[in-house]
Amino acid sequence: MLPQLLVSGVANGMLYALIALSMTLVYRATTVLNFGHGDMAMAGAYAGLVFLGFGLPFVVAVPLALLLLFVLGFLVQRFLLRRIMQGPHLALATMALAVGYALRGVARLRWGNQVLNLPRPYPAGAFSIGSVVITTDAVVMCGSVLVLLGVLLLLFRASPLGRTIRAVFQTERGAALVGINVPLLHGMMWGAGAALGAAGGILLAMVVPLTPDMGEWVLVRGFAAMTLGGFGSLPGAVVGGVLLGVAEEVLGFYLNTVFINITAYVVTILVLMVRPRGLFGRRALIRV
Amino acid sequence: MAEAMLRASGLTAGYPGRRVLFGVDLEVRTGEVVALLGANGSGKSTLLNVLSGFVRPTGGSIRFGRAELAGAPPHRIFRHGIVQVSQARDLFPEMTTEENLRLGAIVRKGPIERLEAKVLARFPSLAEKRRHPVALLSGGEQQMVAIGRALMARPRLLLLDEPSGGLAPRLVRAIAAIIGALKAEGVTMVIVEQNITLALAVADHVLVLRDGRVAERHEPGNGADAEKIVRAIYL
Repeated sequence: MLPQLLVSGVANGMLYALIALSMTLVYRATTVLNFGHGDMAMAGAYAGLVFLGFGLPFVVAVPLALLLLFVLGFLVQRFLLRRIMQGPHLALATMALAVGYALRGVARLRWGNQVLNLPRPYPAGAFSIGSVVITTDAVVMCGSVLVLLGVLLLLFRASPLGRTIRAVFQTERGAALVGINVPLLHGMMWGAGAALGAAGGILLAMVVPLTPDMGEWVLVRGFAAMTLGGFGSLPGAVVGGVLLGVAEEVLGFYLNTVFINITAYVVTILVLMVRPRGLFGRRALIRV
Repeated sequence: MAEAMLRASGLTAGYPGRRVLFGVDLEVRTGEVVALLGANGSGKSTLLNVLSGFVRPTGGSIRFGRAELAGAPPHRIFRHGIVQVSQARDLFPEMTTEENLRLGAIVRKGPIERLEAKVLARFPSLAEKRRHPVALLSGGEQQMVAIGRALMARPRLLLLDEPSGGLAPRLVRAIAAIIGALKAEGVTMVIVEQNITLALAVADHVLVLRDGRVAERHEPGNGADAEKIVRAIYL
């Protein structure tokens, strides 16, 4: 049974990894933990649904949804957060939370308590390797996230934009000293974080019901994966996400199914108590 | 006499609840070195940070060539050719010497290999440690990386904030030699420095700041000696 649990856990974990990675991008760039991130992922899924509703093919609707969320993330940073960036951290966290609730409110206004599904652009099915059953959902989930991770890795390691982002991650003042437009990059990272989160929301909405409250589920798992991997660590976000996914499946099967829903909370509490730096912990990045 | 490259006039600036500069005037001509001296808290570094855009002035003007730069953000001022080496150096700690230097030219277009070779030739000890993470370099080497990174941007005006700060005497001499060489090559500089001997050795003009105002102006070439300037700063 364990191999089956591992496969299912890794598939879910890849999704958590994507969400944690998108939250980490925002956090590393601006040291703001976006408590509205889950709602941005939810908004991305609804945006995809709306564009599909216009009759656009999936390959057009999804990029449009990601673009829309990029713009939304950029605008939130530019017009709501930038002016209070030098203020107390609590103000930034509260603003992010408020934006998330506003998005949730808009979704409730439009869709109420309807339970919707984003139609898959591929046939739902499964195949088996030995005794392990692998669903097409799991393959698509893992494949999509791996492609996105590969693109991000390439961008970070082998492009001038990647060097610019890494420079801002390490020291904002140093980056400004070499002529980098740091405020613009902050906006772009919020945009990129929102778009990647939206990609996670779209993948999720293809396999679980889409509701305006989906964001909370996303945020809790993203936060737990970040905590487990170590706040601010990009590889940590990926490893933390995968481990969380596996832990949910294994604990849910061997201990109690309730663990599928509470593992994220348990992991967050345990890691913060035992090893607050997480697995790949960096020193605390506190904006002063 | 050459036209002023930088003309700052009536600069006032400060931080929340505290004014630091009270109407400072400053002129720098092409190829000149201007030293800003003064006791701690006199406003030297704040003035430098106003010129580079890190502190927004509350009043006054900064003319650089034909451009008015007062209140412009750091990245825009950088693009005009005003490049600062900060007191804290602000290097990228997880990157190598080479990566730090190359980031100095990140907003430049075109190849940078020749420029990089030229900068490394100026700092032979860095050439040997080009693949070392800067966090592992000594304080003096880090200062050289900071100056080298600024030179990679081909500055029209180089702002140096306490380049000898916290360094051992041997390294202070090395930094002084580098600054002297830059002056000989015609690099225009404004230097904030606590080491008066170093400042007088390279400066064409010395401004002594006291309580956010220019208290005295000296020209080392015209017989201003260190003792007189020390008196102006501390007495």
